Amino acid sequence: METTQMTEGGGGGATGIAAQMEVEAFRRLFPLPFYKRHLLESVRPDARALDYARDTTISLGPVASADGSALVKIGETAMLAAIKLEVMTPSKERPDEGSIVVEFYMPPICSPMVRPGRPAEVAPVISKQLLDVIRSSGMVNLKELCLISGKASWIAYLDIYCLNADGSLFDAALLSAVAAFTHLQIPLVSVTEEGRVFTVSSEQEEKTKFELVNKEKRKLSLSSIPFPLTCVIHEDYILVDPTAEEETVMETSITLVLDTLGNLVSIYKPGGVGLASTEIMKECITRTKRRMQELKTILEESVSVMEVD
Amino acid sequence: MEYVNPLTGLRIDGRRPTEMRHLKAQIGVVSKADGSALFEMGNTRVIAAVYGPREVQNKGQQMNNTEALVRCEYSMANFSTGDRARKPKGDRRSTEISLVIRQTMEACILTKLMPRSQIDIFVQVLQADGGTRSACINAATLALADAGIPMRDIVTSCSAGYLCTMPLLDLNYAEDSAGGPDVTVGILAKMDKVTLLQMDAKLPLDTFETVMQLAIEGCKAIAQYIREIMLQNTKQLECRRGS
Repeated sequence: METTQMTEGGGGGATGIAAQMEVEAFRRLFPLPFYKRHLLESVRPDARALDYARDTTISLGPVASADGSALVKIGETAMLAAIKLEVMTPSKERPDEGSIVVEFYMPPICSPMVRPGRPAEVAPVISKQLLDVIRSSGMVNLKELCLISGKASWIAYLDIYCLNADGSLFDAALLSAVAAFTHLQIPLVSVTEEGRVFTVSSEQEEKTKFELVNKEKRKLSLSSIPFPLTCVIHEDYILVDPTAEEETVMETSITLVLDTLGNLVSIYKPGGVGLASTEIMKECITRTKRRMQELKTILEESVSVMEVD
Repeated sequence: MEYVNPLTGLRIDGRRPTEMRHLKAQIGVVSKADGSALFEMGNTRVIAAVYGPREVQNKGQQMNNTEALVRCEYSMANFSTGDRARKPKGDRRSTEISLVIRQTMEACILTKLMPRSQIDIFVQVLQADGGTRSACINAATLALADAGIPMRDIVTSCSAGYLCTMPLLDLNYAEDSAGGPDVTVGILAKMDKVTLLQMDAKLPLDTFETVMQLAIEGCKAIAQYIREIMLQNTKQLECRRGS
């Protein structure tokens, strides 16, 4: 570990003992002056520019037992999403539609802040945000989840587990949900005499002649896909894709979700000391548009990689 | 059902009776944790994360001032098993396995060196295909080593069973739910001492000895693999440090 001394230079901040101190200790004890020094040079402690997001990777199908799954990593933040389909009877008001249930978990492995008996405060918040965005974006046409109108339809249980929490949790979670839906394949299904619906695996289909309700395994056709971006705002600086440390130190954060058709799906700025003027909002929207193009390319690449296999 | 094919002598997944599933381990998967590891035994995939030694959170739980407090929590992901409907933690099986893993690791951690502190071991099962208990213990050993927590020895664990009059090593889920006996053993590798031993269903005594010996052989093979992984990891760290 380096033992460089941080001497008093331009940028204000603490005086006295801070003038002679190791970098790591300065970072822990005086986080705000530490970041101010970096922001003045338009750079962040991990050498990123202010409007650069971390390396993002998507891998489809890590969970073999699920009908659709995806592992997404944004920098160190890792999310594992898996979808399991079960058959249910649709409601009377909507006999042609299936439904989606979203649950977001932050198990204790992901962060030192989460302990058994003291669950993470943000987990239910992100869970609700995800459900709202997936529903309002209309990405999944619920009519595609129908089996037999009025009698049977699919309920998709989407479970997202945070494996490593290092900032931008909602971004990674939404991206993993989107990737899992892209990977989802609806299994073949048949009906017994009593009217009970059950899934038929591909080996069974060849051996016995079940009367199949749907003729082939199919994927969902997703319309406008939502892509998120979280930015933190500190005075007049906008930092894109914050790490966990940046999220705690900075004044406020704002999350924007755009879809591929160019519509604004969701804006989320949950209070905070910093105020977002119209210019800042417009800047954030521009950054989100750029990020959306990046993410779209990454998602398409991962889908084609999987299809080659 | 034929768990061991009488003609070829192979099991339903193509293994020989004394063959273990494919092992794969990775250290340092969770950057926020002090130590972490991903351990795979065939299709069973488990992540362990260790936080500690850190300050005791619940002073009421601290038994004495001379030793570190070891806590463990085992939980399964909703999608880890075939059917989804399950309560991931807090149900009896998870609580029992948490206790078992905690006591197994307590046997090897030198708790007296870290008084008044707490070591948390969290294990998350991502995919379950039999032998989750053993995979968790192996992952926890690697995670503790990654966290630099002083240990007496490495603990490894493996299971073995007895079906169709053959002792079988490392049962998967189908073989485990066949109703035959299931012996899980955890040993301190170099000291050659058994710290965990669990068995259910009936077995005559001499058959039990054969099955237990087989499980111990499996544990030693896993210990060999774990040592290789730790050596590789140390070489990488040395490389990064530039020495």
